[in-house]
Amino acid sequence: MTTAFRRTLIASTALGLVAGAAAAQELTVWAWDPNFNGAAMEAAAAAYQEMGNPDFTLDYQEFAREEIEQKLQTQLAAGTMDGLPDIVLIEDYSAQKFLLSFPGAFEPLTDVIDYSGFADYKVALASVDGETYAMPFDSGVTGLFYRSDLIEEAGYTAEDMQDLTWDEFIEIGEAVTEATGTPMISLDINDPGLFVVMLQSTGSWFFNEDGSLNIEGNPDFRAAMADYQEILQSDMWTQVNSWADYQASLAGDVASTVSGVWITGTIKAADMSGQWAVAPIPRVAEAENGTNYSNLGGSSWYVLASSDDKELAFDFLTSVWGSDVEFYNQILVDQGAVGSLLASREGDAYQEADAYFGGQEVWQDFSSWLGQVPAVDYGIFTYEVRSAIASNIPAIADGADLDEAISSIAAEAAVLTQ
Amino acid sequence: MSDVAAHRLDPEAAEPSARAALRGPDGPGRDMIGPAVKYIVLSLAAFVSVFPFFWMLVGTTNSSYDIVRGKAWFGDQLLVNLGNLIEQVDLPRVLFNSFYIAIISTVATLLVSSLAGYAFEIFRHKWRERIFAALLLMLSIPFAALMVPLFVMMASAGLINTYSAIILPTIANIFIIFYFRQATKAFPHELRDAAKIDGLKEWQIFLRVYMPVMRSTYAAATIIVFTLTWNNYLWPLIVLQTNDMKTMVLTISSLNSAYTPDFGVIMVATVITTLPTLIIFFLLQRLFVQGMLGSVK
Repeated sequence: MTTAFRRTLIASTALGLVAGAAAAQELTVWAWDPNFNGAAMEAAAAAYQEMGNPDFTLDYQEFAREEIEQKLQTQLAAGTMDGLPDIVLIEDYSAQKFLLSFPGAFEPLTDVIDYSGFADYKVALASVDGETYAMPFDSGVTGLFYRSDLIEEAGYTAEDMQDLTWDEFIEIGEAVTEATGTPMISLDINDPGLFVVMLQSTGSWFFNEDGSLNIEGNPDFRAAMADYQEILQSDMWTQVNSWADYQASLAGDVASTVSGVWITGTIKAADMSGQWAVAPIPRVAEAENGTNYSNLGGSSWYVLASSDDKELAFDFLTSVWGSDVEFYNQILVDQGAVGSLLASREGDAYQEADAYFGGQEVWQDFSSWLGQVPAVDYGIFTYEVRSAIASNIPAIADGADLDEAISSIAAEAAVLTQ
Repeated sequence: MSDVAAHRLDPEAAEPSARAALRGPDGPGRDMIGPAVKYIVLSLAAFVSVFPFFWMLVGTTNSSYDIVRGKAWFGDQLLVNLGNLIEQVDLPRVLFNSFYIAIISTVATLLVSSLAGYAFEIFRHKWRERIFAALLLMLSIPFAALMVPLFVMMASAGLINTYSAIILPTIANIFIIFYFRQATKAFPHELRDAAKIDGLKEWQIFLRVYMPVMRSTYAAATIIVFTLTWNNYLWPLIVLQTNDMKTMVLTISSLNSAYTPDFGVIMVATVITTLPTLIIFFLLQRLFVQGMLGSVK
């Protein structure tokens, strides 16, 4: 071997090693919403660097939520893992679909993460057959956000708003609407989001454990639907036609809304400091295990089995997302993101009183409600059943017989989930 | 020879009789109610089709909040929206990607598909019609069915997340082949015969005779292919994996996916995305007419 050749060989080997070492410190992540999920991931990367991993880099790639699902679905179906990320964000409602359709595609994290520190219901959403596959991220723990000034104007106090039933809520709502001229809530008649929240608060869902439909003959479903019909037939709501329209209605057109904690950012964008407050959502009184806690939306981080850097991904997720309370406080302040790590509530930001909400310690409230959200299994076909419900809402609002409406939903859902 | 060709391709020659036919036997001005109704219906249709564009332009100058509230007149937020867009998106890079993909795709598609269309019409072969029918049948296969195998192909060729992965599948465009074959039926065969007598080879005939004569067809096909590739969404989405490869259309889609979308920024991005196809359309519309009038001189 000539010296020159040997030198080249050594040089190229060294180069290869350097490149390999550099690559080993980088994780690729796919997520949506750069101002929320993206920013939280960047903050996590910065926190991880400070923990003694100065060479760590995050390669954040931005795609819409449905786009990530479409891309994953195509690639996993094609069986080619080229260019898939190390970590991907998946919405909780879609998680079971991916876990059950593509077994082996995601890395089980049961032995990596101590799940006892997280909200139970979030862990359940990412679990199949005793294995859990995700680092739980943002929670959609729900609250009843209401305009304290308008409630007062109608003769009610903050105390009157605590732990209501839906019947009581409708009574207050109609009184507020009449006294102030402002409708109590805004509803998009094409979006069954409120009903979905009501159903989860009873601890029930669309499916049995074996995945079959649990709609007809489900007493909780019927009880929630009865309350929902009462809301639709009341005079306390105004119609909105899109998500954007709904968000806009929160800036002065309604006296309250039931939504996930992530709506806080939208509410605070409206420049109405001191005029809002939060209470637990009303409960379905007729349901056996009815609670005042529920969830809307939320998503979690999944490690792909095809990742070259699983160990790094595990270490990154557990050291930051699994235990760093300070990090969770930072993303609460900067992004308004409420994580699912229960210990976060010990942080300063979680204990602060919020002037926008009249000095209420809203984050303490949300984090105590977070631990009480009933765990349900969203199954594979949540979106299909939602659309079956949506197409029956107009009839329900018109006063259709409840059992007939539920049969019709069940029949449509059966077709859609075949 | 060239008189015959000029006559065939000259729309003026056919026009007098066509005009007479349109005018009808009663002449103009007899019945005013018919035209009035016609114009009212047409104005309504025009309003319905123009309003979204107007709304889009108005939207670029308003804040997201005003847009959602339905403000229908111009505001003063244009620079703010533009600034936010530039801050959130690497605009030069994304525009470059879109233009690069659309231009290369268009040139390659026109070249290959017009060659195919020319060959299908000019050369005779006993299998010609069967092959052509098979091609047309393939038009009815939905892209969703091709996506997974196409992805496997691109992955095994090592082309995932490259421009080629987007450009290659567009080049043999069946519709454009069909379009060129139909247009070639009007191409005067005498021209090809004359060129042959003059000693031109087949590729020379294609380059020097066919292409100039068919300028109008090329112009129309350019509009179609450019718009298709510029607006292409599903396949680039599947095969591109990094932000620095994204096209304008993909960028708008991710802007739209934020939990609180900024509609002002989205409107600015939409206008920027619409402009190139509009400009190409108006530029080529002129060339289209010129091509018709002056194709053989």
